[in-house]
Order: sequence, then C-alpha cells, then structure tokens
Amino acid sequence: MNKKSTIILITSILVFLVIFVVALMVGRYQISIDNFFGALFTSDETYRIERSIIIDLRLPRTIMAGLAGIGLSLSGLLYQETFQNKIVSPDLLGVSTGASVGAAIAIVLGLSSALISIFAFLMGVGTVILTVLIAKIFKNGSSTILLLAGIIVGGFMASVLSMIKYFADPETTLASITYWMMGSFENSTMKQVCIVFPIILISVVILLTLSWRVNIVALGKEEAQTKGINYKFYRYLIICIATLLTTSVVAFSGTISWIGLVIPHIVRLMVGRNTRKTIPLSITFGGVFMILVDILSRTMTDSEIPLSAVTGLFGTVIFICILLYRRRMFDEN
Amino acid sequence: MKIKINKLFFTYAGTTKVVLKNMNAEINEGTVNVVLGLNGSGKTTLIRLLAGLYKPDSGSIIYDDKSLNKISIKERSKIFAYVSQHSNAINDILVKDYLTYGFVNALKFYKSPSKEQFDRVEKIAKKMQIAKLLNKNLGDLSGGERQIVSIAVCLLQDTPIILLDEPTSALDLKNQNLVLSLLNEIAKEGKTVILSSHNPNHALFLDSNVILLNKGKIEMFDKAEKVIKVDVLEEIYGKKLCLSSELNYQEVSFKK
Repeated sequence: MNKKSTIILITSILVFLVIFVVALMVGRYQISIDNFFGALFTSDETYRIERSIIIDLRLPRTIMAGLAGIGLSLSGLLYQETFQNKIVSPDLLGVSTGASVGAAIAIVLGLSSALISIFAFLMGVGTVILTVLIAKIFKNGSSTILLLAGIIVGGFMASVLSMIKYFADPETTLASITYWMMGSFENSTMKQVCIVFPIILISVVILLTLSWRVNIVALGKEEAQTKGINYKFYRYLIICIATLLTTSVVAFSGTISWIGLVIPHIVRLMVGRNTRKTIPLSITFGGVFMILVDILSRTMTDSEIPLSAVTGLFGTVIFICILLYRRRMFDEN
Repeated sequence: MKIKINKLFFTYAGTTKVVLKNMNAEINEGTVNVVLGLNGSGKTTLIRLLAGLYKPDSGSIIYDDKSLNKISIKERSKIFAYVSQHSNAINDILVKDYLTYGFVNALKFYKSPSKEQFDRVEKIAKKMQIAKLLNKNLGDLSGGERQIVSIAVCLLQDTPIILLDEPTSALDLKNQNLVLSLLNEIAKEGKTVILSSHNPNHALFLDSNVILLNKGKIEMFDKAEKVIKVDVLEEIYGKKLCLSSELNYQEVSFKK
C-alpha cells in the first residue's frame, strides 16, 4: 500500500461509517440528530418510536445493504481478475440466474420467505457447480471454457425461469417473482444478518490475507504456475468464495445488478491494477455504494423503488463516465 | 543443474500426430542451448514440456536426479523460470509491480513483497537499464522493452535455469541483439539458458549448443559451429541454404 491508496482507504472507511449512521436517520420518517442519540444512548420512553424504527427496521436493512455491497463488488472484482476480463460481473457462472430459479420455485410452491432464501442459495451454488462440471467435460481447464459453460448454464437457467414465470399466476406468484428479482432490503431482519455476516466476514478475511496473491492468479494459468502458484487450487478457491459471497447476498435481497461491475472499475481507476489495493477498497466502496442506493430506493418516492432499478440508473451513468475518463487519460498519453 | 530428457513422446490432446518422438538429450549446467527447427518441428512443445506446462505421453524429464512430474509446482518455480512466446495479455499493471511477481515462490501466501524486495527490483532494473520504465504500465512498453521486463522477472525469480520460447521472434534487429546479449550475460553468471529460435545466426552469436529438431526428433545436438553448416541445415531448411560469404550482397548483422 502506498500513501495515496492508504489515504483513499482511510477516507472511504470514514465515509462508510458516516453513511451508515445517515442511513439510520433518513427515510420516510426522518429522525433528527438529537432524537437519534436520544433513542440509542438513553432509555427514555419518549424515543420509543424512533428506537424501534432504527433498531428493528433500519439497522438490519442497512447492515444487509452494506454486506451486499461488499459481497457483490468483491465477487465482481475476483471474477474480473481471475478471468482476465473486465466486463464480467458476479453472475458470470450463472449464480444469480440460478438463485432466481430457486427463489421462483419456492415462490410458486408458496413456501415461506426463509425457504425462498434457502432454495435460492442452494440453486445458486448448484448452478455454479453445474457450470464447473460442464467445463470439466472438455478437460481443457482454460478460462474460456469455463466462461462458455457459464453462458450455457446461465442461458439454460434463464429459460427455466421464463417457463416458471409463464406458468405462474400473474396476479400473485408472478408478481412476487418479478419483485424478488428486482432486489430489495425491505424484509431484512437481524436473523438474516446473523447468517450473511459470518459468510462475508470469513470471505473478507481470506481475501485480505491473499490480497497480493490474487495478482498472480490474474496472470493466467501458465504464468501463475511457472511463478510457483498452484493455479488450479487458487482459481477454485476464488470461484468458491465469489459464489458464496454472491449467493448469500442474492438469496436474501434478490438479484442486484451493476454494482459488481462498476465498483471494481472505479477502484482500479483510482489506485491502479493491484489486488493488494483493490480488494480492501472494493470492500469499502461497495458498502458505501450499496447503502447509498438503499437510501435512495426508499426516499426517492413514496413507495420503495427496487434496488436494481436504482443501481442500473446510477451504475450505467457512472460506467460511461469511467470509460470517458479512461479515454481522456489514454488520449493525453 | 543438469537436465536429462529421456525417451520423451508427446501428442496433443484430441489429435493423432505425435509431435515429439523418442526424444533423448542431456543438457549441461551453465550452457546456452538454442532449439532450432522448422515451424511445427516441436520447438515450442519441447520448451513447454520442460516448463511442465504439458504432460508427456511417456518418457521423462529429469532435473538433476528428480523427475519433473514428481516435483511440486512451488519447487519447480525454484528450478526454472519461463518466458512464453506471447507475452501476457495483461497490460495495466505497473512494471514495478510486475517485477515483484518474480518473488512469489519466496513469499508466504499471506505476504506481499517487502521494501527490500522492491529495492532489489530497482537494482536489477538499473542494471538492465529499464529503471525509467518502472512506473509505466506494461501496455505502454515496446515489444523489446516488454521482453526485457519478462526476462528481468525471471532473474528475480532467481532460478538456475531459464526457459524462453522464441524470445526474439517479435523483435526488431536492435532489440533482438539487446535480448541476445542479455542472455549471453546471464549464461556467464552460470545459469542454464534454453531458448527456441527461428534464426540459426542467433546460435552462432550466442556461441551456444544447438538442439536441431526435425519432425519431432533431435536431428543433431552439438556446438553451434558444428551444427550451423550448410550440409547439416539444408536437410531441414532446404537446398537453397548458403553461407553469407556466398551471397552477392552484404548482409547486416551485429558485432559480438
């Protein structure tokens, strides 16, 4: 870490903390700073409503938003590095589409929200396993085959999803499936946080430990191997972590697009391509971005706007700005 | 470190053409060895087999007294470094950072390069006259600069053997000379260098051994001055081959 990236990292951690507190205060029911501290640090009964809103509603959803941002931007970064392709997103190996199929099946069967999450999680993981197995048939071990298998399995899952939607009841289940797929933290609970938090924490610890080494994996099989790294092991480890990160988020919040693509690009633009710097920064930037998006999704209008609509809106604009900026830097050189 | 190639056979997966047929050779420590031969004669295949990137159908490659397939990936990276023909597609890493990748096998999995290792990068960059490139992106380098950076990484990897697959094929004359001179210096420091090339003159320039391949077999393995002869080479390169002294024009080349 050089001076510049350390400053960016510390600043982004501070911003993360500030935005986290702000997220607890703003919303349809605004809470002033006085009331906020009153509700959290006194046991005064007059702040009963505020306390309930902050602790029961906003705290779990804000934590979930932060975790989702961290999970999705990290897995986006990991895939972009290991597949040497800057336009891949966490859904590369069919994770989100698979999870959507799982959720859709559970919704059609009329199962509880806990079971919807479990189905989504299992199908998400199952889809990636299927992708890896299909790639294995070709005994070639190249990233291209894995990418292709991802496209094939993703396409297959997408048509299964269409089928389920076609047969679903348009009044009830179809609406639920569609709404689920647009992503929301509205139903977040502390219980969900207790499940997702350890998964994200363990992944983050492993990734921070390996943060420099991911650079070498990103060189591709030949170079990584001749430089002394067990490429196969690290690639599967990374796919494993990225899949767990994405599915654990998607299973509870539905699919959220763009963030996994945009955040790694922003981070790379700021500190260059070095996973020792980009991994920690993707964590803080991803968290901040997602919490911001969640604030917007619940304050922009009277009803909640689905997350993917907001991430798409801002993600695309930011992405164009990044490309233009890169282009300008390129021209100047 | 001695390399022994023992009854080596190799076929690419999904094909029937046997690329290497019963190859035997012994490469001595501290020598420069140029693999010559036509396109498709097995030069790249041989280098990549030596680098452990392919598995032979049968036969073995033995480093000192250990068979390559019994050496772990990490141990291999302490025995040989490898420069591929097509330099990596990654363009947006700083040269400075890229050079530290040579230290991977010396670092524990949770470590990143130390200050001292960055100093070593600077030292070797100065020695190889690429210090001014350190803060540039790999993608901003010329082909020649990039090749020298690739070799610098190998030197930092600090292995007794360096394998290079056509390191001069994409370079202009000046850079070809630069790379070859560099390899000469490396060999003087006692390292074993094995490279493939399309240009027999390179073997003469390097005063190296030549492994002359013909249709997947070793046609001849000897000192360059003994192999680079019209009667030997015309078997492979065709009857029109001649020495430059027989030409009715002057060829350009480099002084040693």
